[in-house]
Amino acid sequence: MENAWIIPLFPLLSFLFLLLFGRRLKENSAYIGMVLTLASLVYSLVVLFERFNHPTYKAEVTWLTIGDVQLTAGFEVNQLNALMLVIVSLVSFLVHTYSKGYMHGDGRFHIFYAYLGLFTFAMLGLVVSPNLLQTYIFWELVGAGSFLLIGFYFYKEEAKAAAKKAFIMTRIGDVGLLIGMILLFWQVGSFEYDEIFQAVDEGAISAGMITLTAILIFVGAVGKSGQFPLHTWLPDAMEGPTPVSALIHAATMVAAGVYLVAALFPLFAASEAALMTIAIIGAFTAIFAASIGLVQKDIKRVLAYSTVSQLGYMMLALGSAGYVAGVFHLMTHAFFKALLFLAAGSVIHAVHTQNIEEMGGLWKKLKLTGPLFLIGTLAISGVPLFSGFFSKDEILISTWVHGNTFLFWLAVIAAFFTAFYMFRLFFMVFTGDARGKQKEVHESPSVMTFPMIVLGILAIVAGYVNTPWFGTFLGDWLVADNDALGHGHIEGPAWIMIVATVVSLLGIYLAWLIYGKKSIQRDWLTVRMPLTYNVLYNKYYIDEFYQLTVVKATKGFTAVLSFIETFIVEGLVKLVAGIVHGLGIIGSKIQNGQVQAYGTVAFVGLAVLIVIFALTGGYLK
Amino acid sequence: MSGVPISAYLTLALVLFCIGLYGALTKRNTVIVLISIELMLNAVNINLVAFSKFGMIPSITGQVFALFTIAVAAAEAAVGLAILIALYRNRKTVNIDEMDTMKN
Amino acid sequence: MNEYFLSILVFSPLLGIAVLALMPKTQEVAIKAVGFLATLPALVLALVAFIGGSDHLKKYDIQIEWIRFGDYEAFDLFKIDYELGLNGFSLVLIVLTAVISTLAAIASIHIKKEWKGYFMLFLLLEVGMLGVFAAQNLILFFIFFEITMIPMFFLIGKWGYFEKEKAAYSYLIYNGLGSAILLIVIMVLFARTGTANIDALAQLMAVENANTVAPFSETLKFGLLIALLIAFGVKLPIFPLHTWMLRVHVQAPPAIVMLHSGILLKIGAFGLIRFGMGIFPEQFKSIAVLLAVLGVVNLLYGAFLAFKQSDFKMVLAYSSISHMGIVLIGLGALNEAGIQGAIFQVVSHGLISALLFFLVGVFYERFHTSTIANLGGMAKGMPLAAGFLLAGAMASLGLPGMSGFVSEFMAFLGLFEEMPILAAIGCIGIIMTAVYLLRAVLGMTYGRANRDFIAVSDLKSVEFIPVVALLALIVLIGVYPSVLSDPLHSTLETIMLGLGG
Repeated sequence: MENAWIIPLFPLLSFLFLLLFGRRLKENSAYIGMVLTLASLVYSLVVLFERFNHPTYKAEVTWLTIGDVQLTAGFEVNQLNALMLVIVSLVSFLVHTYSKGYMHGDGRFHIFYAYLGLFTFAMLGLVVSPNLLQTYIFWELVGAGSFLLIGFYFYKEEAKAAAKKAFIMTRIGDVGLLIGMILLFWQVGSFEYDEIFQAVDEGAISAGMITLTAILIFVGAVGKSGQFPLHTWLPDAMEGPTPVSALIHAATMVAAGVYLVAALFPLFAASEAALMTIAIIGAFTAIFAASIGLVQKDIKRVLAYSTVSQLGYMMLALGSAGYVAGVFHLMTHAFFKALLFLAAGSVIHAVHTQNIEEMGGLWKKLKLTGPLFLIGTLAISGVPLFSGFFSKDEILISTWVHGNTFLFWLAVIAAFFTAFYMFRLFFMVFTGDARGKQKEVHESPSVMTFPMIVLGILAIVAGYVNTPWFGTFLGDWLVADNDALGHGHIEGPAWIMIVATVVSLLGIYLAWLIYGKKSIQRDWLTVRMPLTYNVLYNKYYIDEFYQLTVVKATKGFTAVLSFIETFIVEGLVKLVAGIVHGLGIIGSKIQNGQVQAYGTVAFVGLAVLIVIFALTGGYLK
Repeated sequence: MSGVPISAYLTLALVLFCIGLYGALTKRNTVIVLISIELMLNAVNINLVAFSKFGMIPSITGQVFALFTIAVAAAEAAVGLAILIALYRNRKTVNIDEMDTMKN
Repeated sequence: MNEYFLSILVFSPLLGIAVLALMPKTQEVAIKAVGFLATLPALVLALVAFIGGSDHLKKYDIQIEWIRFGDYEAFDLFKIDYELGLNGFSLVLIVLTAVISTLAAIASIHIKKEWKGYFMLFLLLEVGMLGVFAAQNLILFFIFFEITMIPMFFLIGKWGYFEKEKAAYSYLIYNGLGSAILLIVIMVLFARTGTANIDALAQLMAVENANTVAPFSETLKFGLLIALLIAFGVKLPIFPLHTWMLRVHVQAPPAIVMLHSGILLKIGAFGLIRFGMGIFPEQFKSIAVLLAVLGVVNLLYGAFLAFKQSDFKMVLAYSSISHMGIVLIGLGALNEAGIQGAIFQVVSHGLISALLFFLVGVFYERFHTSTIANLGGMAKGMPLAAGFLLAGAMASLGLPGMSGFVSEFMAFLGLFEEMPILAAIGCIGIIMTAVYLLRAVLGMTYGRANRDFIAVSDLKSVEFIPVVALLALIVLIGVYPSVLSDPLHSTLETIMLGLGG
């Protein structure tokens, strides 16, 4: 555990090495990346198992001195961090493996692996940070890695726009985080998590300040985790290669916002208003994104909105003081969503389109991908015995027990939506007749199916580490020796579990009626409520709204400043230049060659000097 | 002798100088301008001589300098008139307004 | 040796001028080589001093009697000595100057005509810049300050682009006015105290009703500080005194802009800190709010206007204005974090803008344009150059792990302690920086290619040196900022002592 700092360095090494020598290695670059992330994974597992028996370990060195304040850098291995290390390095390793098949033949293969290394480094660095400043540093680096990967196909205008949008939207959130963090620093005098929690505990910070900083920090999480209203970048980010979507925009980076709130949970827990904000934003995002997901036609976009929605769930859990529920769902979601994305990638790899209207009937052709996708779909829909069932259940119970009845029912409806759109996706892609122009469809190579199988197993079994039936190991371990995090397991009424199950089965049944059995017309919504359909299909026109307000306002303000620049500032310059020029003209007129005129000027000048001298006595006070 | 105070000499010099200055700056005829300059020089001479008698440390130096000035003024008048004649030959005028070659 | 160390450092480029004077005009390669080599002694010596540590800088001080006025030997007044010296801050800037000068000399390979004159002026400019930071008295400072101005005027006016003359005159008028005001301040100080030594002046001003040759009223001190602010505000530049700098950035050859943006602008910040804060700490406190407001205005004004430009050089010019706003923000905060942030920003922006302008030079050399739209999709033809450009932009927009973040962070950290609301407004600038830089850089590198890049070569071997060196320094400061903060430590303590805690 003392050497856990080395975990993030393996991928960094991969990044640097591939940047320098990748060109010569070509596709062998994949092995470098895989071996080094495997090293991270193995060491992460070692650290995780060590952490079961050992207390939290923390080590720091001075990074920067400002006056008397020493800002430090280091690492901390607590329960949450150890868990995150394993999740991140595992998904990263699997994506590294999968990409070897998926990216085969790309001219910039090694660059892709270098970027993956950079991203993994940043993400691993983020989850071991012992203080807010270091968290922020890696937080931004993660954003940069994501930016590079979204824009990997840089020659596509859409990729360029998506990369730019992702960076800027998350940066808006980051500024909130930065402000919150600095304000907190001047309250506490340190960026260290321990000291912040201690100050909160002792009541050294006023309640208003806690709420303000907590909400500002949450703004950062909103940006990163694609919560409303900063969610629009995440669906666009699907322009990146699909393995990237699995790694960054499903399992790890977007979960960083949830991680941040979890890591700072004692701060948030101290302010009921902050918790409420998180819960409301989370619940709203969950249902809002799920409703958009109902009608999208791009397989990756459906998954993207589903991600946004699931992240909303996690936020709702944290906002309802369900620390364990949030982290638990973060973990299970990482597995089943990564699985879904990789399986989607496998589908796209086979049929060369992302439009689900052009798929269909793939179940027989993709013998491995199909069942694996089904596992992921069952898990995310919350069908009993799959991992998503247990974690979603925890969230619903937390919400109910915390007293957010309205948000609870929102979450239930969102769960219904989730089951519906996921099975809509499944039926449209895998059942029925082949639509579009599918040529020869092959199953992906084993290098791609292997990671999917691993994730498929995890998507089923990962839930059993924390169940009301067999014991809440994960929960008990996560909150051990820290009262501020709440209880390992929250007891709730048993009917919640039944409601959740019924709702998800209903969603699946409805999807089957429409898309499987086809007993309900597919264009049911389109025909009956074209307005609703259009609003949903166009994502509530949020992008257009921003285009009309924020972007217009920025451009308008720029135009105003530009006006000031051209007319007032430049005018000032012209004025000064004009005065100088005018003086020059007057001066050249005086130079008329008349000696007498010169003499007059000299005489007047002398006279003035003498008068001044006479008046002041020759000394300026 | 002692009845005439120094201020009288200085006032005379001042008046003379002012007349000279006025003439030098305003007259159109170059000959008059030259004569005006002579007037100013002579005003200076009066000052020099007056201070050599009534100054804080009376000495002969002032009078010596007055003689120098007269000599220089004579030379200057000679050179000035020579230039003036040369100019007149070229331009057929002694009007100072037309002599503005320094402009270029 | 130690005694003459600094003099040798400052005047070593003169050797190059002497050699160049003896060379025939047409030997292009040899002239460029000599020009480059002549920057090396200063670089080596600066690095020696830097590695030697900041604790023993006193040993480099030199003081030789030079000019005396009047008959005040008994009081030791009204004399101007030749005195050079170092403190942590000036040492850092001298190293920066030496590094960027060497790299700019490499960037000068793109100069097309009259290499001999170019390099002679270039080296003279370097002497001026080194001298400015080493000078220990105001008059010597002013002399070096003027030495930078004249070569710069010719370098812009002769080797620049289409509107070079206009830019050169614009430069001369603004900076001439600035230095005139500076001269007035210096002369008032000198006439009233009888000394021009900066440390001596700082001590005199710190004492209330000090026994100076002529008295100083509070109003006079305040007026002098405002005059200093204007004089250095032209240089920095502070809104609305910035228009000259836009022209220079666009019209001067890129190698010269590296120096200009990298170092000459920093003289403004240096002056404000060394003289404004050092000599008039009390008065400086009272204008701190004004500085912070000006800083935020600079930051936002530059950022929003950079968003609109179509020429990448203009984007960088406005970005310089914007980044100098961060220096002002740090100074306005007037606490350790802020001032340290301002100094970091001075160094960091020097490196980053040198990197970006070098790349502009590289692109201009190949495409004869720096218009964003005309360069679209360049990553296809020049992946390495595009990658470095992106890295430079990331550094500029304050990505952690690079120097820009450390300085930006500290400046804002400082300002949030004093004026949180103003700082929060300033934070919009952080977003806008990302917006305009990504718009410009992605516009140039990403997207569909607008032209044929087949015949275009990527970075050549010699072009790698500046790019890699600058990026390495940027990352070094970003990852291990102590490399910069350690030498600054004692200087900052002195400043904070002057400010009263």
